[in-house]
Amino acid sequence: MNAWQRCWQAWQVEIANIFADRAVLLVIVGGLLFYAVLYPLPYHKSVPGEQAVAVVNHDHTHLARQLIRMADAAPQIRVAAQPSSMAEAEALLASDAVHGLLIIPSGFERDIYLGRPTSLSFAGDASYFLIYGNVVEGLLTAATTLSVQTQLVGSLMKGESPAQIPGQIMPMRLITKPAFNPTSGYINYIVPAVFVLILHQTLLIAAGSVTIKDRARRRLGQTAPSLALALPLRLFTFLLIYLLFAMLYFGFFFQLYGVPHAAAPSELLAFSVLFFISATLFAIWLGYLLPRPEQPTVLVLLSSLPIVFTAGFAWPAESLPKWLDILTLLIPVKPGIQGFLAMNQMGAPLLSIGREISVLIGLCILYGGWLCWLAWHQRKQSHC
Amino acid sequence: MEPTRLNGWQALRSQPWLLALVGWLPPLLALLFIAVFETGTPRSLPVGVVDLDHTSESRSLQRYLDASPALDMLHPYPSASEGAEALQRGEVLALLIIPRNFGRDLRLSLSPEAVAFYNSQYLLAGKFISSALTQSSMSFAAEAGVVLRLGQGYALPQAVAAAAPVRPQITSLYNAGMSYARFLVTTITPALWQIVIVVATLLTLCWRLEKAPLPTTFSARSVSLWQLLTPISLLLWLQGVILLGMFYYFLGWSPEGSVAWLMVGMALMVIAVQSMATLILATVANKIRALSLCAAYLAPAFAFMGITFPRGDMNILARTWGNLMPSTHYIELQVAVADHGAPLATLLPPLLILLLFLLPLPFAIHALPKQLNINPAEQVSS
Repeated sequence: MNAWQRCWQAWQVEIANIFADRAVLLVIVGGLLFYAVLYPLPYHKSVPGEQAVAVVNHDHTHLARQLIRMADAAPQIRVAAQPSSMAEAEALLASDAVHGLLIIPSGFERDIYLGRPTSLSFAGDASYFLIYGNVVEGLLTAATTLSVQTQLVGSLMKGESPAQIPGQIMPMRLITKPAFNPTSGYINYIVPAVFVLILHQTLLIAAGSVTIKDRARRRLGQTAPSLALALPLRLFTFLLIYLLFAMLYFGFFFQLYGVPHAAAPSELLAFSVLFFISATLFAIWLGYLLPRPEQPTVLVLLSSLPIVFTAGFAWPAESLPKWLDILTLLIPVKPGIQGFLAMNQMGAPLLSIGREISVLIGLCILYGGWLCWLAWHQRKQSHC
Repeated sequence: MEPTRLNGWQALRSQPWLLALVGWLPPLLALLFIAVFETGTPRSLPVGVVDLDHTSESRSLQRYLDASPALDMLHPYPSASEGAEALQRGEVLALLIIPRNFGRDLRLSLSPEAVAFYNSQYLLAGKFISSALTQSSMSFAAEAGVVLRLGQGYALPQAVAAAAPVRPQITSLYNAGMSYARFLVTTITPALWQIVIVVATLLTLCWRLEKAPLPTTFSARSVSLWQLLTPISLLLWLQGVILLGMFYYFLGWSPEGSVAWLMVGMALMVIAVQSMATLILATVANKIRALSLCAAYLAPAFAFMGITFPRGDMNILARTWGNLMPSTHYIELQVAVADHGAPLATLLPPLLILLLFLLPLPFAIHALPKQLNINPAEQVSS
């Protein structure tokens, strides 16, 4: 039997190990299709709608009513109730009927026209952060607009030079503009990162449990191709399968959800190859660490949430403790997510993400080297 | 082994993995999350600066912004294109561009405009950085306004009042320091705890079915499962209570309402998730496939809770899927008790819904496979 035939036979064994295993197939095919639909499901609306707020109006003047109209007109909020007392307002908050509160003090209009500083109190329900952010943003917009208007009227009434008025009302302005995700949509925020996570985690389960079952068969003395042949072929097979799924995820599903993607196909392919090689090597390495085929699933289930919050997209990596930021780089998914986001969502060219690329290459050497040593070790044993 | 000895304590003794799950692992993971969010709010987020003006005004704006604990302005770039590349690479999370003549326009009262681009691909960091930039620049503008007016001959109190006639006072209800640690750790941990419950229950059930066949009659099965699962359930519930204690100790979390309701809710959540685990195993009769189904069912629970993205803005399908997970109802209870200090009428619906998860339990007990076989070709150690 020549080398090619041996290789071909070994590959057939590897393919059978993957495709004849219903549990593995369920994860690769069923899981990847199901998750691509399930995870984006909560965010179909992408941006949260107007949040209900209550206004407690102690002033009942024209200016106060104007402020309420402005608040209602802000896109983030709608005035859903005007309770007559604070107690009533608190009851509305506790029952989740409203998520924010605006309190207009008595004497509000008089103080403004007399040029006395007045305070407006806002409160937002900080049990839900996105809601809180919207409530505060909406109320702040309304208050700033009103403030600018009254300043403008005041300056004109005092007969100040119109040329100087812009600077007096707002000596400088800092305009903030979103880059890369112009609608600040949740779909564009969560889906690209979570898709990388899903690909990685299902790969860990599939390649990990295939490896464990392969080890079990070898232990029982069943014939199997040598590790020096089996491991590279397993790596190659999973790489092919996952490149196909990456096309489906980054192509079809991104299109379906309207997620913008900027990377050139060849660069995306190059980074995907590197990412899936390091993730498969990591998965096979895990397969040598764990003794039972269900354990990769348990590990993946327990690690998914910690990965989401240490990978840098949901919570800034700069705010992680240094040791944790470095430790979590040992899992390929973190540099993977950061690299894919930089290239595909933020439009960075492949060569500019040198840091992510070198970390992934380092992980390939780490886990791949360990597996090479293992294959070499086994060969030596079988010779003597 | 005698059937009577196949109880939960025995399962714990013979499986170190299971012991870790119902014992030390979840508190350790909670500690990990506490470490992740240890700063409470994001700090020193890197902001790139392209200063095209180089006047004392432009430098003083940068110093002003740098003083905000949220911002780290020490990333200068010589041109806008170089700054934009750094933003693309993720090296900085925002890019501030100070235009030419910024200082001159400020002195001439022409209201110059600086632009900051923030990375909203990283939405939370982006929004946070954007609001920190806006707030700090507004106070810089207010100070500059006072200086301008003093220069125009105003008296100090008038200058201060005219510069900012309406002062917004913002209060964050139920989380005074606006700490993300409190907000996120107290909601992520229950989501993870739910996964621990489902995995521990499945592993225990499988252990039992691998050791010996279940009795055939429904009553005998119930007794056998009761002996098996009671110790696990108790330990898991205790673990939940310990997690609440950790929130209190590490995060300064102190519930408005009575913790007793949360402890009742946790007990109901444990048995609700256990009922679903039993149902899943009864349906597929295979350890690995049951675990995969649990992963599909409960792994995304955190997203469906409505804590990060409001449930009111989800479509009907997402809300339905969320309703099928016990964690959604538990977190509703936790927010109502701990944050809102809500009355009993608000607490009862989530508690009763958690009880509904027990409805399929009799069917699941009846349909559980009699026995699971261990395939030696699948395990490296026996």
